[in-house]
Amino acid sequence: MMRRTLLLIATLIAFPASAQVLPFLKKYPPAGPPGQPAPVVPGMQAPIEVLRADFAAQSGGTSVYFAAGRAQLTQQARNLLSAQALWLRQHPFVPVRIEGHGDPTDTRDHALALGAERAEEARDYLILLGVPAAQVTTMTWGKERPGPPAAVTTLVQ
Amino acid sequence: MRLIRVGMFALLAALGATAVAAVQAGAPAATVIAIPPLTSPDSGTKGNQSLAIAWQATQLIETDLRQTSELMPLKPNQKDYYSYPEVTAPTFSKWRDRGAKALITGFVQQRSDGRLTVGCYVYDVDKGRELGRIGFVATPSDLRRAAHKCSGLAYQSITGAPGMFDTKIAYVAETGPSEVRVKRIAIMDSDGYNHSYVTSGGTGVLTPRLSPNASKLAYVSFQGGVPQVRVIDLASNQQHPLLSGNAMSFAPRFSPDGSKIVFSMMLGPNTDIYVVGADGGPARRLTTSPGIDTDPSFSPDGSKIVFESDRSGSQQLYVMNADGSDERRITFSVAAYSTPEWSPDGKSIAFTWRSGDTRRIGIIAPDGTGERLLTNGPGDEAPSWAASSQELVFQHAEANGRPGIYRVSLDGSAPRKMTIPQDGSDPDWSGTVD
Repeated sequence: MMRRTLLLIATLIAFPASAQVLPFLKKYPPAGPPGQPAPVVPGMQAPIEVLRADFAAQSGGTSVYFAAGRAQLTQQARNLLSAQALWLRQHPFVPVRIEGHGDPTDTRDHALALGAERAEEARDYLILLGVPAAQVTTMTWGKERPGPPAAVTTLVQ
Repeated sequence: MRLIRVGMFALLAALGATAVAAVQAGAPAATVIAIPPLTSPDSGTKGNQSLAIAWQATQLIETDLRQTSELMPLKPNQKDYYSYPEVTAPTFSKWRDRGAKALITGFVQQRSDGRLTVGCYVYDVDKGRELGRIGFVATPSDLRRAAHKCSGLAYQSITGAPGMFDTKIAYVAETGPSEVRVKRIAIMDSDGYNHSYVTSGGTGVLTPRLSPNASKLAYVSFQGGVPQVRVIDLASNQQHPLLSGNAMSFAPRFSPDGSKIVFSMMLGPNTDIYVVGADGGPARRLTTSPGIDTDPSFSPDGSKIVFESDRSGSQQLYVMNADGSDERRITFSVAAYSTPEWSPDGKSIAFTWRSGDTRRIGIIAPDGTGERLLTNGPGDEAPSWAASSQELVFQHAEANGRPGIYRVSLDGSAPRKMTIPQDGSDPDWSGTVD
């Protein structure tokens, strides 16, 4: 099983995901038209690592970035979140957590709050695009993790 | 760890202590204080043991006082031995001739139950007058605390401000690489002794805040998935979340009487300041403005709260009444101001100043006047006041980026690094321990 998973990830990385018809994706029912939730088929979930790789590939990334000190979404961030929303609506049984990050040079508590605001902004936009609210939670790392100011959408088990 | 203050002085007079004339407001010169070795009423072999303990105490007091910029101790010399009766009848002329303005005398006596009686007296040398006295029954392992109490008596008698010798510092101990940093809450005495860890490092922790007498500690934990305030009773090591519910809460600080905790909570898109009983209960919202309001800190009389808000577009400091009324902005600058903490004497507010990537520590009067930067950065943060209101502890990033704990005095001298077993951040300095 482990070997098969690794193989699938390798395939995803090697080729544009959209050009591939992966075995496990064939089992999914087709996504419903916009505005209607995709049918949920329990017990059909692929391993989380595979889903994560697919999500990142189909969406063009897991992270949206922010200007220093700001929580407003850039156009680039909205484009990426739109792609994420599409995937999430096709996978309504996959819960996600948006992890907000503050600015590394900010003071601790403001960074915590700003990271939370960024995560909320990203979540609100996903919901605006039709992702069920219950599918998306948020948290903040403040400046506890190195890296640029971002909101990272993470698939959770 | 109990120190029993005793009324052992039969002649415990009303002290009526007044500050020594040598220290005037605006006079930066340090008061020279003599600390001849403490003596003992014990005799024989026991007397020698007692004198050895007394010498230890003398050196501890000297070390304490040397850390201040207000007092300048003369180096204790064993040749300056005096007899037990001279504890309360010192030869003032001798110390006057050596330039001392103040004098500490004292004794250590071994009791039959194995404990020690420690007594200290502080004098104004010029006037030949007693300024204060203090006495304890202590176990030998508590000799350090007894000496700290003597230092505190001397400091308070001379400067009028409480000393910071018998106080604690809590901070976040950091180990490991930056991607997987292990953070634990640590507590130590302000001189670095009695270092211990309060949390195990399994979950991320931030911003420990001691209650005024260091009996409780509030901090922020990632244990529940989002940052939330938890409170630990340090005597029992019992801990609980401050609030029920899943909202993100952070930036806790105790009220000066320890009965309340003021903190930030994020509900929806808005981060506001709330106040709640130190043991929980319903929280009351104090601010409502859009934007991030955080890092609240009470004035020492409990009537006001200083906090930071980015409602104007950048972080600035605001003062409001403790019920949330009458908000007033006190900083107006292109720089950002954050992490305010009100000084125990009420006269100053310490803050982190930020411009570009540079962070420095500064102070400002509560009315917004007298702003002064104390450190050069570039990675300084999170100042916390000593009980004396003359010194701050803060976090400073070393050249390699790793955080350390530093102390800086208001007198303009260079910051000094504290010795801790690993990296450290988010320091918090308690008031005097009972």
